[in-house]
Amino acid sequence: MVIFARFNIGMSSDGSKMAQRALRSSYVSTVVSTSLVLFIAGVLAVLILNAKKVSDYFKENILISFVMKSQAGEDEIKKFAEELSAHPAVKTVTIISREEAAEKLSKELGEDFVTFLGSNPLLPSVDVNIKADYAEKDSIRALVNHFSKNPLVMEARYDETLTEALASNIKKISLIILAFGSLLFFIMMVLINNTIRLTLYAKRFLIKSMQLVGATRSFIRWPFVLRGILSGIYGAIIANVLLVVLLYFLQKHLADIFGLQDVVFMLTLFAIVLITGVLISGISTWFAVNRYLRKSFDELF
Amino acid sequence: MVISLEKVNVFQKKNLILSEVSLTVNKGEFVYLIGKTGSGKSSLLKALYGELKINQGSGYIAGFDLTKLKSKQIPYLRRKLGIVFQDFQLLSDRTVRENLLFVLKATGWTDKQKMDDRIQETLAMVGLSTKGFKMPHELSGGEQQRVVIARALLNHPDVILADEPSGNLDPETTREIMALLHDITKTGTAAIMATHNYSLIENFPGRIIRCETGRVFSQN
Repeated sequence: MVIFARFNIGMSSDGSKMAQRALRSSYVSTVVSTSLVLFIAGVLAVLILNAKKVSDYFKENILISFVMKSQAGEDEIKKFAEELSAHPAVKTVTIISREEAAEKLSKELGEDFVTFLGSNPLLPSVDVNIKADYAEKDSIRALVNHFSKNPLVMEARYDETLTEALASNIKKISLIILAFGSLLFFIMMVLINNTIRLTLYAKRFLIKSMQLVGATRSFIRWPFVLRGILSGIYGAIIANVLLVVLLYFLQKHLADIFGLQDVVFMLTLFAIVLITGVLISGISTWFAVNRYLRKSFDELF
Repeated sequence: MVISLEKVNVFQKKNLILSEVSLTVNKGEFVYLIGKTGSGKSSLLKALYGELKINQGSGYIAGFDLTKLKSKQIPYLRRKLGIVFQDFQLLSDRTVRENLLFVLKATGWTDKQKMDDRIQETLAMVGLSTKGFKMPHELSGGEQQRVVIARALLNHPDVILADEPSGNLDPETTREIMALLHDITKTGTAAIMATHNYSLIENFPGRIIRCETGRVFSQN
């Protein structure tokens, strides 16, 4: 009969304490790696939940300038601006008078060209930002064509290639983010799964001993799974704290995109993170315990 | 009869370990299982507690048909057996009392008072009534082994299966453990003990079964 030295009955208490410490630290590392993967999942969720906001932000930055003829009076321009605002595609309308345009240009040039020239050669314009839903080539062209018919409009200026580039770039970027995020998420899942399996590997003889005294599989399984779920919950709490910190900084530095997040969004995010955590760690623990429940004693070494 | 095997083959995976084993053990009998390392002593014990499959012939232990044993039934079979194996240790993450409590809870006990009483009773039987609060690693080897025996006794087993229970204990402790097992058989529990310590057999007489090159020979 083979006697394995490491299962000597008279195991030194030092060894046992070390084993206990190793178990505890592996539990901590399970929680830490769970919290990291959940943080990644959370960031992904933030991006996805905010994807529309982010792309809308860029789309609504598209500017169409209607340059008015010099004979257009202030009232006529105002009327034209009101017509524009009434259009469903238009988000904001800004009237830029000759004086304002001159001021702006002077600032950009760093030179008071009006006094230099003796007169202001600039024309008044009406700047339009359109709604994100209409920020594609055809809608913009239709809008421009429609309003260019007005005899007071000299020309409409906007960057058509920019709108096209924007649309395709947003698509590309969201695909890349999704792909990278999913990849990262997958890698982290594998890591969590491995950590949990290692934690349970250390307990394989314990599991076998439990089976030997007549405990059913489910009786052995549920405390482990419960503990796994608990570590998922701890991981989710840590991840949520990290996400709150992240969102705080995003709000501070990218207020335009990540404006104040509403309560529903935050609760959705926390719930996604928590559920993911509970599911990942619960399911991996379940499978890992089953693995050792099924193995025969000789396969454990 | 608590065990009756009739021309049974024992397999480990697809390897035939023991063939045509016939063996009967009666209530309260003390049986030694002897043989060289690798002769299949442990495998025979493993077959008896459902770890190894048997086919052919007929095999009954404690009312269970080993040839038709389903994996769902195995826990219930083991509740009828007391298993004292060297490799099967106490649960190292809890105290002696909690170890015994785990067994009771796992085997369907619910009454807290009854569980406490039973734990105290069995600890007294193995002479450790005062050590219930200790962690396994705080006990000596002999004490740990006695707790293992106490654990095996909790559910009034029909049979005790012991594999080299005194393997690395000193002679004095070995004698104590043997005396304990011998006393237990007087209450009607049968015991099968694998050993290659022949001096034990002289001091504590019992029926001898020999394992040799894949066969089992019963004396007497």
